[in-house]
Amino acid sequence: EIVNTNVERTLDLTSQLVKTTTKISAEDSAGKPIVEYVFFTSEPSLAYIDVKDASDKSVPFKRNEPVKGEQSFTFTFPRAAAKQTFIVETVASKGIRPHPEEIRQNDKQFVKYTGNLHLYSKYRTNSQKTNVKLSSSNILSHTQVKPFSVSSNKITLGPYENVEAFSQEPLVIHYENSAPFVTVNTLERTLEISHWGNIAVQESIQMTHTGAKLKGSFSRYDFQKEGRSGLAALKSYKTYLPASASGVYYRDTNGNISTSNMNAVRDFIELELRPRFPLFGGWKTQYTLGYNVPSYEYMFNDGNKYQLKMHLIDHIYDNMAIDEATIKIILPEGSSDIRLSTPYSISRLPNELVHTYLDTIGRPVVSFSKSNLVESHISDFTLHYSFSKTSMLQEPLLVSGFIYIIFLFTIVFLRLDFSITSHAHKE
Amino acid sequence: MTLDVGGVARGLLTWDKQEHLVKLAILILAAVLSFATRLFSVLRFESVIHEFDPYFNYRTTRFLAEQGFYKFHNWFDDRAWYPLGRIIGGTIYPGLMLTSAALYRLMWLLNVTIDIRNVCVFLAPFFSSLTTLVTYALTKEIHSTGAGLVAAALISIVPGYISRSVAGSYDNEGIAIFCMLFTYYLWIKAVKTGTIFWSAMSALAYFYMVSSWGGYVFLINLIPLHVLALMITGRFSHRIYIAYSTLYCVGTILSMQISFVGFQPIQSSEHMLALGTFGLCQIHAFVDYLRSRIPKDHFDLLFKTLVSSVLTVVFVVGTLLTLTGKVSPWTGRFYSLLDPSYAKNHIPIIASVSEHQPTSWSSFYFDLQILVFLFPAGLYFCFSKLTDSNIFIILYGVTSIYFAGVMVRLMLVLAPVMCVLSGIAISHLLAKYIKSVDAGSSSKQGVESKRQHKKLEQQTGGVKSEVAIGFVGVITLMLIVYTLHCTWVTSEAYSSPSIVLSARSHDGGRIIFDDFREAYYWLQMNTPEDARIMSWWDYGYQITAMANRTILVDNNTWNNTHISRVGQAMASSEEKAYEIMRELDVDYVLVIFGGLTGYSSDDINKFLWMVRIGGSTDRGAHIREKDYYAANGEFRVDKEGSPTLLNCLMYKMCYYRFGQMYTEGGKAQGYDRVRAAEIGNKDFELDVMEEAYTTEHWLVRIYKVKDLPNRGV
Repeated sequence: EIVNTNVERTLDLTSQLVKTTTKISAEDSAGKPIVEYVFFTSEPSLAYIDVKDASDKSVPFKRNEPVKGEQSFTFTFPRAAAKQTFIVETVASKGIRPHPEEIRQNDKQFVKYTGNLHLYSKYRTNSQKTNVKLSSSNILSHTQVKPFSVSSNKITLGPYENVEAFSQEPLVIHYENSAPFVTVNTLERTLEISHWGNIAVQESIQMTHTGAKLKGSFSRYDFQKEGRSGLAALKSYKTYLPASASGVYYRDTNGNISTSNMNAVRDFIELELRPRFPLFGGWKTQYTLGYNVPSYEYMFNDGNKYQLKMHLIDHIYDNMAIDEATIKIILPEGSSDIRLSTPYSISRLPNELVHTYLDTIGRPVVSFSKSNLVESHISDFTLHYSFSKTSMLQEPLLVSGFIYIIFLFTIVFLRLDFSITSHAHKE
Repeated sequence: MTLDVGGVARGLLTWDKQEHLVKLAILILAAVLSFATRLFSVLRFESVIHEFDPYFNYRTTRFLAEQGFYKFHNWFDDRAWYPLGRIIGGTIYPGLMLTSAALYRLMWLLNVTIDIRNVCVFLAPFFSSLTTLVTYALTKEIHSTGAGLVAAALISIVPGYISRSVAGSYDNEGIAIFCMLFTYYLWIKAVKTGTIFWSAMSALAYFYMVSSWGGYVFLINLIPLHVLALMITGRFSHRIYIAYSTLYCVGTILSMQISFVGFQPIQSSEHMLALGTFGLCQIHAFVDYLRSRIPKDHFDLLFKTLVSSVLTVVFVVGTLLTLTGKVSPWTGRFYSLLDPSYAKNHIPIIASVSEHQPTSWSSFYFDLQILVFLFPAGLYFCFSKLTDSNIFIILYGVTSIYFAGVMVRLMLVLAPVMCVLSGIAISHLLAKYIKSVDAGSSSKQGVESKRQHKKLEQQTGGVKSEVAIGFVGVITLMLIVYTLHCTWVTSEAYSSPSIVLSARSHDGGRIIFDDFREAYYWLQMNTPEDARIMSWWDYGYQITAMANRTILVDNNTWNNTHISRVGQAMASSEEKAYEIMRELDVDYVLVIFGGLTGYSSDDINKFLWMVRIGGSTDRGAHIREKDYYAANGEFRVDKEGSPTLLNCLMYKMCYYRFGQMYTEGGKAQGYDRVRAAEIGNKDFELDVMEEAYTTEHWLVRIYKVKDLPNRGV
């Protein structure tokens, strides 16, 4: 029988995301080697999970079918041993709720986190401790089960001894959190691949401030005058683009948004974006951000076989949360044998064709979508396809043919007489 | 001998081809320059729609491109003029939208995946290139190829035309000027040839013109005026008869296919000159026919009898039609053209539109520059060699200059004819004096014979080569100055989107004020989709197009009573305004306030018009203009201002919490930078509404109308 000999949890509640790092030491009381470990999660909006062993190597895991609404994962250790120590990192996107739900413009934003005081586990735990990090020392209330200690913006719970399996005891923390709770409701990311040396990236983003809603009036005077007015409002944020990005544009349906700054850092481009208007609680906005990157950094080929390796999603803002993302990859006309591999599971959408400049049969588009994403989901996908180099000649040949026909028509029209009758008196 | 003839033939061909190439190069350069000079705003800001009316045109074009023509034609817009709504499909000139939608479809057919907005933004510059080409064709028909080329070069950059055809000024005039000149060109061709083909082509061009702009009325009065003038001068002939009869019949039938025009060509007074002239053509031709068939004595008797009978019948029928109201009276705008003071005295809504005001003298020079002086010279040259074509351009010039003087907006109609006549003048003079320059040069090559010398001197009219060179130099200098002036005017005065403002910062950089789009986007994103926005009618089109929200009044200004009601709400006290807003079902109120930025076209500066229009209907009897003036008769917003003004809704919405702001160094709190005064009523609270949003530079302020209080609170 497996026993958790020691559990140390660290809860990071400084932003809108619940980031949990759980270090578990497990041991089989009968001395048998541990091959599998079943891990339950009590976070209802879990977005991301990752497992590493003591030497920081990834531990493979699979998601189990939920039983009675409880989500669990099975970890498979590469090397069986009677004692296993591993670290589980999880990110949940909606575990922190604003409380009260509405505040006035000059009020502070208070939020409430509701979780489990103990590790919700299938196995008994000998000893466990939880460290909670908050965004401020202004704590209105929190669960007080001895032993516990509070120091500035940190709460230490435990150690608790001999916790039974499947123990549940509510952990409620009510504190001030001025971080803007911004959620990307929809992200549509389009990658347009060109074999003439360019990849165009475009992201259409609709975002909402999902923190405490603004109650009553918005006063621009207060907003501009008082430094503490609208603390939780989103005034500006930083987006990181690849270092080779160029031709950046930032616009919405009404045209260019004139409030943004761009800085080139060594490894990336830092784009400081200001929304069209500041986002107070409940307010939403939408924009399109696009840029170009050179092909050689992301595309590799062996003869007619090509491989594209790019970020599935990219950085939008720190501590980002995405409800629904749709990714479209537009390949050159004539591409075939398309194979896609992703670092995590996605939902594939039907392929389609789009027509744009100098196209005839249309370009194949690979589409897929995924829900509930966070910053940790920024990683590469790999796309394999076949493309004949001779297909690249189609566009210049098309243009040349068109011009040739125009000149041919002009020559014929000017040099031949199409009159029905000839004007004899003019001869 | 045969070899010599062959050599001469080859030389002639080469010369012809060279001339053709030069003409083509000049025309292409003029067309490209015409397009390029209109792109200042795109380069400085971006590809964006300008002003107010163009936003409505853009919205309708987008609707047409997305929904198709049938739904476009039957479109009843419930987002405008709440709660009345507006029939759009049958109350607009669809030519502009159809042109854009057709170009958009064509480009997408060729897989040029352009955005509909970019089609709209660049349509006017594109048509200005076409206008350059058609101006060349028109002037070539009237005078000569040289005059055509000069006219094309002049019109490509003339500010009077640029003002309504820069990139982003998506309005009817963008394509209508091309349609007008194209119709004139085809009409001249019809007059010259007397063939049904050219007359029918002219009618088709007229149809395109009618579908594009209400200014077609000018065109359908100018052409019959031309025919009348030809009759009076004894130049009427079969050619004129065929040309005008075909144009009038086919053109009128075609123009009635436009829903907005309907039966106006045969009912409204503005079209009676055309109908009368058509009748006169038939009579004239009939009389000519009779005269050629009947002896003189019989003809005289018959003529007198017919004249008496016809006059009697016309008088009786005319009286009956007028009494029954079948023939509509003149419109208010038409009265404004004849009597500049009519609008100011009778209809405030017309007088409040700045482009309907009489033209100041400086506007002529500003928009036309040297064309003002070349215009009479061109007229003189046309008079000195009178032809059917010349008579047309003379009439066009004289009538245009009158109408341009009455209404500043019609400078647009005057600009092309100014270019045509100036082109004729410059071409004529240069053609004359350039020969003397050549003669002077050849003279220096040792023409010794006295007889030869005398002959040359006689041929050049006795002008010395030095004088000719000086004259050509002066003309060239004038044209260079014209180019500089046109570019400067285009850059400084006509290339501002007005939706995006800019200013200079201390270090010389350009600061962008994007408050309008900020506010409209906030409305679109953060108000209920069925929210109703009250604002002055200037911003109605922009709110529907950019914010996609329901508005009460917009720039169509077709319902004076409804606009008056909005004016009453703005001019009344909070309590009374609340009643009006409840009655009109208003959710949000939007005002434009320039006190912080110094933007002078704000609602406080338009407020007196709201008072006048609000007080011009019976329900606004309590609104009196004099109540809003200070004791000394001035309109002031400071402590000396009228208490009625300092407590009305518009004042409170613009200046809410502004009294605590420091706007300028060394000035007190609440200093208004447009009115240059410290506001009088600083610390007040709003009772019936709350501030919903104010933009970064306080240009746009949006207020939410509160609900009725709960019982017992």
